[in-house]
Amino acid sequence: MVQLQRVGKVYRLGPVRIQALADVSFRVGKGEFAILTGPSGAGKTTLLRLLYREEVPSEGEIQVAGFDVTALRRAEVPMLRRAIGIVFQDAKLLPGRTAYENIAFGLRVLGVPRREITPRVFQALKAVGLSARAQALPAQLSLGEQQRVALARALAKEPALLLADEPTGSLDEAVSLEVLDLFHQIWQRGTTILLATHSRTLASQLKRRTLVLESGRLVKDEGG
Amino acid sequence: MLGFLLGETVRDLRRAGRVGVSAVFLITLSLAALGCFWLLSLNLGRAVAEWRERLRVIAYLKAEPPPEAVAPLLKRIEALGGIQRLRYVDKREALATLKRELGSQAGVVDQLPSNPLPASVEVTPARDAATPEATRALVQRLMELPEVEEVQGGTEWVERLAQWQRLLGGIGLGVGGVLALAAILTVTTATTLVLHVKRAEMEIMRLVGATEAVIRVPLLLQGLLQGLLGAVMALGSLWLAYTVALPRLEPLLTLTLGLQRASFLSPLEVVLLLGGGGLLGAFGGLLARGRGPA
Repeated sequence: MVQLQRVGKVYRLGPVRIQALADVSFRVGKGEFAILTGPSGAGKTTLLRLLYREEVPSEGEIQVAGFDVTALRRAEVPMLRRAIGIVFQDAKLLPGRTAYENIAFGLRVLGVPRREITPRVFQALKAVGLSARAQALPAQLSLGEQQRVALARALAKEPALLLADEPTGSLDEAVSLEVLDLFHQIWQRGTTILLATHSRTLASQLKRRTLVLESGRLVKDEGG
Repeated sequence: MLGFLLGETVRDLRRAGRVGVSAVFLITLSLAALGCFWLLSLNLGRAVAEWRERLRVIAYLKAEPPPEAVAPLLKRIEALGGIQRLRYVDKREALATLKRELGSQAGVVDQLPSNPLPASVEVTPARDAATPEATRALVQRLMELPEVEEVQGGTEWVERLAQWQRLLGGIGLGVGGVLALAAILTVTTATTLVLHVKRAEMEIMRLVGATEAVIRVPLLLQGLLQGLLGAVMALGSLWLAYTVALPRLEPLLTLTLGLQRASFLSPLEVVLLLGGGGLLGAFGGLLARGRGPA
């Protein structure tokens, strides 16, 4: 599902050269749940941005969900992103729209027929345990609930791969565990997941394969 | 998808707020100015065309030719070129015409000892030769004929009218163009504002895999709708002004230009103006730039 071959990413700020990632190679198979961990600044977010083609690698090759991400033309990027669900630390919900509308919005822009939207939204809300909060605005939801809505929005697309960038970063421990439990349930239903977190504790609690990044290099691949 | 795009367009229009209203107002103003000059120019153009059609050059003859000499004379005149029609008017017909024109005063003519009016040839220049230069050349050639005493007629004043028409058209294009540019910039500003407001939405759209077309079409439609709305309002105000002013202006037009009736823009011209408004708006929407695509 995800394959990186000697991937490197360099940012240039005038004469300054910042090596964000260097020589990263790994593979995440279909149906696998992998944790990407490491301290802040290790390159986790950069790596995920390369996977959904928000950034282009400076070197190496990336394959995601059957797409050769490195060779992808700009017009083809939407096709890649349709196959991926993405969840961020901040839920990125639209403040003026209800939980239902936020999830439906993600489907409507993809041209999903209207009659399919309602069942898919409610199915996704049910999967994250928020069926009763469908009409609530983001401001009326707790941070944990907002993150669940974001997760539901990603799930409603029925993605082959779910990428999560610090999805529990702004949540307290108890809520974080609830959200991680949801990821676990989603994985059990067959979705491939790559979850980035700086918390080694959370990573160890999940007891899944863990890829450790340090200073842009993959230093450990354990529990696979 | 169409429903989504239209829904987003309406939402964007509401977001544009006052700047959006200003854009519609400026488009109205620019198209109304353009339409106004267009209307004036069109009617002036009609007057010019009518006058060109009525244009005659009259060659007065030294003496009335015998009947058998008329046809060869006309043939020689025709051979001069640049002529659409010829008509020989003998002394008797000239007098009859004068009497008709004098109406109740026609009796004066009967007091004359003899018919003083000369025979003449009325020459209608060819359509493509109804220019001052061509008419001057025709007059010169007619003057050179030994039978011709004097030649009257010319197109100078018709051409002056045509120059006015071109000037009006030019001013209309200039004023309309400047206002159109301002309108485009206002639509661009309104759309850019909307782009800033919906930054978060566009980010979500890109992340879930929406194509650039889906992201940008509502902005384009927003501009297009503003443009169309402006064009409809411009046409409405033009029609209103035309209806109100027409009864007062028509006698003046008849007197000065010989136009029996002024006319409004044709359906095709109305469609062109509407299309122009739509294009102005859409172009403004297209120019708007927010955060670029990923």
